[in-house]
Amino acid sequence: MSQTNIADTSAGKRVMWTYMLTGLGIFFLMVLVGIAMRAAQAGWIGIDPGTFYSLLSLHGIGMITAMAIAGLGILWYFVSRYTPLNQGVAFLAYGFFLAGVASVIISVIPGHYGALWTALYPLPFTGTYWPNWATGAWLIGNSLVMIGFMIWCAQILGALLARFGGVRGILAIDYVFKNREFTQSGKEPPPPEMFAAAITAIDGFIGGTAGLLVVVALIVHWIDPSVAIDPLWAKNLIYQFGHTFANLTMYMAVAGVYVGLPMCTKRAYHTSIPLAIAWWGTLTFVIIAYFHHLYMDFAQLQFVQYVGEISSYLAAIPVVVVTVFGGVMLVHRSGMKWSVGSMFLFAGMIGWVVGGLGAVLDATIPINIELHNTLWVPAHFHTYLLEGVLLFIMGWAFVNLEQRAGSASSLLTRWLIGTGMFGGGALFLLPFYIAGADGVPRRYATEPTPGPYYAGVATVGAAILLLGFLLAIIEAVRLARSKNTSVAA
Amino acid sequence: MQSTLVLEIFIGVAGLAIVLMLWLANYRSSDPIPQADVSATGYAIRRYWLWTTLIVAVAVFAFTVPQFPYQKAKADANARHYPVVAQQYSFSMPSTLPLNTPIVFDVTSKDVNHGFGIYGPNDKIFSQVQAMPDYVNHLAVTFTVPGHYTVRCLEYCGIAHAAMQGGFDVK
Ligand code: HEM
Ligand SMILES: [Cu+2]
Repeated sequence: MSQTNIADTSAGKRVMWTYMLTGLGIFFLMVLVGIAMRAAQAGWIGIDPGTFYSLLSLHGIGMITAMAIAGLGILWYFVSRYTPLNQGVAFLAYGFFLAGVASVIISVIPGHYGALWTALYPLPFTGTYWPNWATGAWLIGNSLVMIGFMIWCAQILGALLARFGGVRGILAIDYVFKNREFTQSGKEPPPPEMFAAAITAIDGFIGGTAGLLVVVALIVHWIDPSVAIDPLWAKNLIYQFGHTFANLTMYMAVAGVYVGLPMCTKRAYHTSIPLAIAWWGTLTFVIIAYFHHLYMDFAQLQFVQYVGEISSYLAAIPVVVVTVFGGVMLVHRSGMKWSVGSMFLFAGMIGWVVGGLGAVLDATIPINIELHNTLWVPAHFHTYLLEGVLLFIMGWAFVNLEQRAGSASSLLTRWLIGTGMFGGGALFLLPFYIAGADGVPRRYATEPTPGPYYAGVATVGAAILLLGFLLAIIEAVRLARSKNTSVAA
Repeated sequence: MQSTLVLEIFIGVAGLAIVLMLWLANYRSSDPIPQADVSATGYAIRRYWLWTTLIVAVAVFAFTVPQFPYQKAKADANARHYPVVAQQYSFSMPSTLPLNTPIVFDVTSKDVNHGFGIYGPNDKIFSQVQAMPDYVNHLAVTFTVPGHYTVRCLEYCGIAHAAMQGGFDVK
């Protein structure tokens, strides 16, 4: 079980790059949709409300799915280095993702579906402005994505349990509770990125089950409208899936830090007892942290509201604290040379901390009363998705490309990319926070003042971010094409 | 809680974290030392650091529990109840409400989920609760500032969600 017998396989790399490039491709298209929406909120371009909500539905599910596909590809590769995996299964899951995305696009572009990706029953059936078939295409598309995700989870979970000695082994239970015996017998706990894979697989399977349950109920209602659904039940399940899926993208992508940062710093990222315990926190609490989406549903079981606040804290705080601390320790006085890859991985940790802070504040009920469903919500999740998840994914990609090319990017290139991605990012994100704290609601095609003003600033920021992203892609292509000048790595 | 204060806390703490992390990454970066040396100090700090954050989290939880809104509607048996019914795309509710009087809004919806978001005369969110069909949510408030309050829908409900507004006067 030592870290040295890592086997790089071409299958692993093929799955990883296929997933990663697909994810980044969808991301790029969805950024264009995002900029269009923000410009519309600024009043700079005219988008009628119906189209706006169709675009918002597409952007929401599309972005989360994009990040998930990329993250799952990276994790699949990491797991394949420890145990052989059947790539046919990975491409089966991939097929489900693509079919799901296609179905969603059909439902939104010709179909004009517009009840958002977390449609709350009696939506998407009441007061619709799109044909009934579009609702069906949407629901079927969603279920295909969920099935693809669950196929991935099942494959990875099975492989991990077999490779690392069951649940006890993969969760490092003996390593934590019987540490002395464990280490004396010469055993090693699973490396950090395997925790990311295991937690994604376990919690992802639970989330996928909840999601399928409610989507199947909605499909049944779509076929036979006389079948009634309890709105509170549906809301719980929708957010159990939605929150878990969106949040897990972070826990997928962070594996890129566990593996990538050691490559940059020439140091090792070891599993430690606090790291294992922190991941147990995420494992346990990430599936119930979604209760914070129902804070303003006073009819919800009251006990659950209390659980919601504390589990929101415990799902996020320990793992951020331990991982980021470890990451900073890795870089500190390591003599690491900054490259686009290491810069992205490090900046991603900053984005994770900042977005996490925004999330934890909003997960505090007395604060949530003033921030629930304001722009503060997209503020925090765009922070950790754009300046966290995306940077981890791109950072990992760059670390690979840099190593293969045996060279890094010039200082000027790094500055330009950094200014675009972080400067543009800040200019895009800060207006969300400020307007949110000011009470501007989220999901408004037309915002009350001062919303449109901030939307304008944010549109400029997003455009700058897009430039930075495109520059990074050009640089990535350049690195990918350049010949390795150093000794084969 | 004042949301502007929350914003200030956020910007302050986030700024501090950014500066600290960048400083730790760049501090004497051209003068490397072995990983074991960093770990030795790092692990010692991490123990306190992890416990401190966890204790702060639990303390914040304990501190905020008394401020949860859920018990308030039951707390005052004499509070006056006012029904609020949301429907695509309007609210039916009283047009005037009393000042300095404990009030409970009984909020529900006739069709889909809506949000009953009350904005004060200063146009900041005063309070809110969801309007869910088949359920009634009880929101207890006491208005201490007279004037016109705007109500905005705070849950996506369909094409005219952004236009779903109402209001009442408090006097
Ligand atoms: C420059 C890049 C981006 C831009 C310009 C952008 C823009 C937007 C805008 C304007 C909204 C609507 C906010 C509102 O009024 O409620 C939104 C919502 C959203 N965005 Fe983005 N976004 C970007 C990146 C991302 C990324 C990277 C993700 C996830 C990985 C993401 C996921 C979402 C989600 C889940 C929603 C909420 C959808 C809903 O309310 O149902 N976005 N985005
Ligand atoms: Cu609404």
